[in-house]
This record gives sequence, C-alpha cells and structure tokens, in this order.
Amino acid sequence: MKSSSDPVWRFLAPSFLFVVLFSLYPIIESFRLSFYRMILTLPWLGQKFVGWENYQDLFSDPVALQSLLTSMAFVAVTTPMEVLLGLGMALVLNESFRGRGWLRAIVLVPWAIPTVVASQMWRFIFNDRYGLFNFVLFGDATDRYWAPLAEPGLALLSIMVADIWKTSSFAALIILAGLQGIPRELYEAASIDGAGAWQKFRHITLPLVKPALLLALLFRTIDALKVFDLVFVMTQGGPADATNVLQFYGYKKSFAEGMIGYGSTIAVAVFLLSLILSLIYIRLLGARLLAQERPT
Amino acid sequence: MSLVPCFGLPSLEMKILLAILSLCLSGSTALAQTQLRFVSWRSEAAAVWDQLIAGFESGHPGAKVVREVGPHSSTEFHDLVTQKLRNRDPEMDVFFMDVIWPGEFAAAGWALPLDEYFSVPQQKEFLTAPIEANRYQGRIYGVPLFVDAGMLYFRKDLLAKYRLPPPRTWPALVDQAKLILARERDPYLTGYSAQFKQYEGLVCNMMEFVISNGAALWDEQQLKSTLASGQATQAVRFVRDQIIRTISHRGVLAYQEPESLALFTQGKALFHRNWPYAWEVANDPQRSKVAGHVGVMPLPSFPGHKSVAALGGWQLGISRFSRQPRLAWQFVEYMASHDAQKQIALATGRGPARAALYRDAEVLAKHPHFSARYETFILAEPRPRTPVYLPLSNIMQRYFSSAIAIPDSNIDQLAGVATRDMDRVLDLLRERPRP
Amino acid sequence: MKKIIFVAGVSVIGGFSLLPFLWFVTTSWKTATEISAIPPVLWPSFHWEHYHAALVQHGLLHYIANSAIVAGATTVVSIVIASLAAYALARFKLGWGRYYLLLLLALSMFPQIAIAGPVWRLLSALGWLNTYHGVVAAYISLSLPFATWVLTIFFKELPYDIEEAALIDGCSRWQALRFVVFPVAAPGVFTAAILVFIHAWNEFFFALIILTYPAVQTLPVGIALFPGEYTMPWGEIAAASTIATLPLVALTLFFQRRIVQGLSAGAVKG
Repeated sequence: MKSSSDPVWRFLAPSFLFVVLFSLYPIIESFRLSFYRMILTLPWLGQKFVGWENYQDLFSDPVALQSLLTSMAFVAVTTPMEVLLGLGMALVLNESFRGRGWLRAIVLVPWAIPTVVASQMWRFIFNDRYGLFNFVLFGDATDRYWAPLAEPGLALLSIMVADIWKTSSFAALIILAGLQGIPRELYEAASIDGAGAWQKFRHITLPLVKPALLLALLFRTIDALKVFDLVFVMTQGGPADATNVLQFYGYKKSFAEGMIGYGSTIAVAVFLLSLILSLIYIRLLGARLLAQERPT
Repeated sequence: MSLVPCFGLPSLEMKILLAILSLCLSGSTALAQTQLRFVSWRSEAAAVWDQLIAGFESGHPGAKVVREVGPHSSTEFHDLVTQKLRNRDPEMDVFFMDVIWPGEFAAAGWALPLDEYFSVPQQKEFLTAPIEANRYQGRIYGVPLFVDAGMLYFRKDLLAKYRLPPPRTWPALVDQAKLILARERDPYLTGYSAQFKQYEGLVCNMMEFVISNGAALWDEQQLKSTLASGQATQAVRFVRDQIIRTISHRGVLAYQEPESLALFTQGKALFHRNWPYAWEVANDPQRSKVAGHVGVMPLPSFPGHKSVAALGGWQLGISRFSRQPRLAWQFVEYMASHDAQKQIALATGRGPARAALYRDAEVLAKHPHFSARYETFILAEPRPRTPVYLPLSNIMQRYFSSAIAIPDSNIDQLAGVATRDMDRVLDLLRERPRP
Repeated sequence: MKKIIFVAGVSVIGGFSLLPFLWFVTTSWKTATEISAIPPVLWPSFHWEHYHAALVQHGLLHYIANSAIVAGATTVVSIVIASLAAYALARFKLGWGRYYLLLLLALSMFPQIAIAGPVWRLLSALGWLNTYHGVVAAYISLSLPFATWVLTIFFKELPYDIEEAALIDGCSRWQALRFVVFPVAAPGVFTAAILVFIHAWNEFFFALIILTYPAVQTLPVGIALFPGEYTMPWGEIAAASTIATLPLVALTLFFQRRIVQGLSAGAVKG
C-alpha cells in the first residue's frame, strides 16, 4: 500500500468540518474573551481588552483557588475509583455465565439515567430525614441520621459517591471492549505453563488492557473536571462553598453574573488543567499508543 | 486467500456535500402571520393559560402566539432567557422575569422600558412592592403577574396544647420551640424548618432575619455593604446558634423548599418558613399529615423592629429586540388584566399582583386565606434592585452559608470578607451613567 | 473458591448498580405522603397516579421519542464520521496523526458550558435552533473526540493480515474498512456507539438553550419541566425515569450479543 494513494482527505474531511465549525470556533471565542473585561449587565463599561488581568485576578481570587482544590480533590478520588470499579466490573462481565446479558444491561442503568434525574435521585437518597442512605445505615433510629449534603465535610464525598455510581459503568464498558480483544490462547498457554489466576492477570491481562485503561482514565478525568449537573442539583456549590468546583464557579460567573470575561478565564483554566493531567497520563501510560507505527 | 467481495460505491465527497446542502435548505422559511414569541415556564394551570392565549388570538386576528417553554427553576430559566437576550435575538417578544431580574435586565438593555404603555394610574392598580421591584432608575420595566412573600407556618394544635400565642418575635419563637420540644419528647420533631442551602433562597431566609433586626444588606446610596454591622452579624449569629444549633437540626442546611415543606407536612416540624404555596399543600389531606392543624402568620421580627418578608414573584417583560413591541404590549396588558388574573388566581391559588383581586368576592370564596395573605404582601420587601444583584447574591450566599454551616465560624471575619467582595462589585456601579 | 468470589462479585455489581435505582422505582408507586415519610417506608402502595401524570399530563413519550431521534441520529453520524477518521489515523501513514488526536482530545477538554454560547450563536445564524439537525450537529461535535479516540485505539489493536490481503486483491481503503475491519472491530464499534448514544441521551445544558419549543424538546429538558417553582414531584420524576430507562435497557440487551462477539482476531491469528 502506497501512502500517497491513501484517500486521506476523504476519510478525515467530515471530522475536520465538525471540529472546525463546532469546536474550534467556540473555543477560540472563549479564549479570546478571557482577555477582555465584559460584564453584560454593565454595558457602559464596554468590552475592554485587559490582557492578563483576568488571569491575575484568578490567581489572587481565594474562591477560585479553593474551587481549584475542590476540583482536584474530586478528580483525585472519583477517577481512580471509577477505573478500578470499572476494571472489576469488566473482569466479571468478560466471563461467560448465564445471565451475562442481563448483568451487562443492569450495569448500564446508572449511566443511562439522565444526569439531571440521577442527581435528583441522589439528593433524595441523601436526605437527612426520609432518605434511603440513612435508612440503610440506621434503620428507624432517626436521631442518629446524618445530613451528608449539609455538612461541609461530607457534601463533596456525597457528590463523589453519586458520580462514582453513575459513571463506573462507562469505564467498565470501555475496559470490557479492551478485555475482549485479548486472545484466549494466551490464557490457555499460560495455564499449560502452570500460571495462577493472579499471574495471568498481572502478566497477560494488565499489559494488554492498558490502552483501554488509558482511554477510561483520560476521559473520566476530563469529564470529572467538567462536572456540573450533580453539583447544580445536589448542593448548588454549598454548603459554605464546599462543593464549589471550578467549572461550577465558572458557570455562575458567566451565566448568572454575566461576567463573561472572567467566566471564560475560568473555563480556560479548567481546560489547561485537563490538558496537563492528560499529557501526564499519556506520558506515563500510552506514549507508544500514539506513535505512528507502520502496520506490520 | 482473499474472499472479500469488492463492490463499487458512489464517491464519498458527493454524498457529504449533498447531505449538508439539504440540511441548510431545510432551515426556517418566511411566515405569513405575525408571530408573537412568548417564553415562559409551564404553569400548573396550563389549560387556563392556553384558554387565555386563545382568547387573545381571537381578539387579535392575524396574531399567533408561539410558546417556548423552559423549566420553572429560576436559575435555569434565567440561562435560557439571557441566552437569547445577550445575542439580541429578535425571536423573542414577551418573557417572564423573576422578581430579582428587572434591575439586571434594565441596565443591560435587554428589557424594554414600558413607561409609554404602562401609565402610573395603571401601576397603582397593582400591589406596591412588586411595582417597586420592576422599577429601575425611575422607569418601569415589567408588569407583575404573581406575588410571593415569606410567611411563617406553625402547628396550631401544638401551640394550642401548650396555650401559647403565635410568636411575634424570633426569641419568643425559639423559647416556645424549646418548651414544646422538651415536653413533647418526640425525637423526630424539629423546632424550625426552612431553606438554608447555599442558593438564592438562603438570601431570602437570611434577609428576613437581618432586616428585621434593623440592619440592611447594603447601602444603596453609598454603594457599600452593611453586612458587617453589629445588628446584621447579631442576626446571623442568632440563626447559627439559636435556630440551627438549638431548636432545629443540621439537615436544614441542605434544604430548599421541597425538603423543608416535607418535614412540616409529615408532622415533624413545629415552625416552618415558606412561600404562600405551602398553605394549599399543608392543608391537603392527600399530601399532608397535618391538614387542618396548620396556622399561618407574618414572620416574626427581632424586638423593636418590624417584620420583614422577602418578596418573590414573576413579571412579564418585553424584549428590547422585539420587532413588534406594540403587539407585545397588548399581549402583556391582556394577560395582566383583571379578568385574566382573576381566572388564573381562581385556578391556581397563586397570589395575583392586582390589589383589587384580594377583595373580590369570588376569589375570596375560593381562597379565603387570600385576605390574610394580603396583609403580608403589603409588608413584603423586595431585594434591592441593582444590575449587579446576582454577583452580590452569590457573595452573600457564600457568606451566609459559611457563617451558619461551619460550626464555630468567625462571623465577624466572614462578614468582613463578604463586605470587601461586595464593595468591589458595588464600585463597578459608580461609573454608571445617570438617567 | 473462585466461584464464590465470582458470585459475590456479580451480586455486588448488580446490587450496586441497581439498588439506588430500584429505590427510585418503588418511589414511583408511592403516594405523596409515603414518599417523604419519616422514617422511610420501603414498600410502596402501588399507586399508579404518577405514571399517569408523567405520561398524560407531561407527555413523557413525546420527549422520549425526541431523545431517541436525536440520540439515534447523533450516534449513526458520529460513528460513521469517527470510523472514517479513526481508520485513517490508524492505518494511513500520517506524520501528523498523533497531533490530530491530541487536538481532538484537547477540544473535548473545554467545558461545554463555556462553548454553549458560541455554539448557540452559530446555530442561530444557520437557522438551526429548535431543529433536530441543529442539536444533532452540536452533539456530534461533542462526541467526535471521544468516538474517534476509542475507534482509533481499537482499530490499531487489530491485526493487519486480512486487510492487507484484501488490499492486495484490489479493494479500496473504503471497502477494506467496511467489509473487513468493521465486522472484526464490532465490539469496539458497538461500545463506542452505545456510549455516544447515552451521552446524547443524557445531555442537558445544550438542549436547554437550543430546544425551547415543546415539539422538539428532549427527555432531560422534558423532565426538568416537571417541577413547579417550589415543588419537586418526586413520584412523577421517578415514574418518568423508570419509563425512560426501559428503552435503553432493551437496546443494550438487543445489542449485547454484538458487544460480546468474541473477536475473530483469535481465529485469524491461528
């Protein structure tokens, strides 16, 4: 196959078109606006180019810095948990057993429920008087009930639980597809050689499922930094800003307060954070995945 | 070796080009009638609205009202409406405004000033507080439709059992709650249920404490925050220590209206602060276990000051970018007319903004509590009108939530931080052009 | 021993995924006072009013239909476009393939809320607001990065033998993709398809501002219309989510054989 006859543009043009129109243009707009001071409700202030001032404000804004930490904490806990749980689920789903189809469908249920509905459900579950969470823990003893969404210390954990419940199956599906790509013969050969279950896992499964793990990690991290619906419905960023993740703060600035310039700056900050983390993952796990190997 | 069949296929690029072309051509086409775009949320009495709108259309031949519907949640509706306004979309004529938006919409040049249509004598037919909420720099930007104000609900039966009169001051309420909780010995019963989650409702609840202690949220003349004043911090301290720590419970810090009302309707709350809608729910045997045992009264205040109720409600506004402001005004006038408001009031029980309806025999026959409600509505206090209300509100929400949710919060320090942040926002108004 | 761990694993996974949802399902059958009962009651009184309200008063099926159309169209078009791009990135010798992938990844990192404004403006200029194709176009752009990545990585992992043979026999790249790669990469393709579908099914914020005519509103927006200003109709929302989840479960059950299909790569290698 001569590369010069490969119809590159035919294959990539549609993707290019969407990317440029619907992704690049909006993002460049946001980047541009992050260098301006623009407050919609104060039009007499105009749209003033302020250079790096918004970014300087961002670094000296205690609320923004706090929300950055909150976002990082959120990612640091939810992403590994989701990938681990996803791996566990995928390993189970990879085995043949009766009812596997049903279990697969069940596993998808959390992911299939629209996030806005799931958020309301968890708000209901975590209620301090009539919620399932307390009932499961303490039964009828209402005086011992907790109020997870009311305590600054627990609120973020509650949102993490809801997120882990909702999106572990996302990771599970990706990892499952990766697991299915591992040929059975490798395991059979290993069994013949006398390898135990753990050794098979460590030396066959884990290395070969790395691409899928990387995919799951990457996209879960990116999505975790963008989390919005859960925070909006369950806690509105509270109590005492305990769940005010960076992107929720950006939303309040852009949409509620009309401070488009600063809101865009926050969005760029989220983007940069995602970018840094992703580059770290790729460097650690998958550099060779992206290498252009000639098919052999 | 290779058994893959090879089929011929038309060129891929042509297919894509054709697809895009057909999509572009199926865009919107010109319209024959005059379309009036009305953006609203869906009412509980959707049928009544549909009827009214049909009535308008038959009275204005050639006019067609096109409905666009968004969620009732104030924040989500705000996102939807401002998305159109910030892009100067002419495809929106009439829209609903929450009571805290007129200042913002007026300053941003989104809402049309209505003075040429909505004369002062006409304005006097409405309750004063909502009209004030629609004014900005001397002009009026909306026509109020619905009014809400904070009220205190209580268990009539329990107060009667202990021979206690309904409390007129907050300290009295706390004392009564302590007494009843101690005697009732019901571990499930709480003294006070209200909305203390970090959202706009928190500002409503807290302002009812702060302002009824003689303080203000900020000084509109000086453009300076007054939350650090002794009276303001005293009120906040009272809420943290006397209400949440003593007679209520930590859970209220996560409540919005539904959760707090649920506690009351389950019979597990003694006193409950909520909007007027709670009356119907609490007295409906299908939805409440305490139907018939519910009392309602204006909110208490601190000794020596008068009671304050936060004003809520919705108004109709006209977009500055509408192509048919005159027709839009006719629609607004029609929907806010005495007859239309009366029909809606009879069907939904929501407080109308027209004063006369509170003395109307038919309305009072269906909703006898309207006359008591009227007393509260004339005392209601709008949140200060300013283009920067939402940024200020976010700062206040942060402050109030931190002050009452963190167990040993340093309220003075938090108030200082809030003051500094609020002043920075208020400073932006100093360059405002005079009307 | 292994069997016990396995059964335990299945139960934990099933329970973890299903229990909160089952709780919500029982809520859909409870009366208003049962829903917020303190302490909670587990067993509902099988009260169908909420289903009636969700279906009749709110027109739930209409929202589900809209979501199905939008999500379906998004999935089909996204997968086609992404497969083409992924095949090119995986098989053609392109020096810049890696950078294109990184660009796609970077584009997906930008918070949707921030780009909602410009996307809305674009759709408004095209006259595509409140249309299916408008919101589908926006969703395609949101799912392309993810779909392209998944498919690229899966295509890369496939062995090259059969394709090579087909190409030598005179098939074009397109034919190789359609008839050789696709069937063999079915698990990856269907996985990507299901995830794109569900992402489009769930999406709320873009739908909120793009679709304001009741005729075209999708499910998440439709459900957001259930609450009143201060009332949260838990029962109706629970009923709606129960009804809405059924098609997705059915879809998965139907397609799960395709997802399961053992990779014939094993057979090829042998």
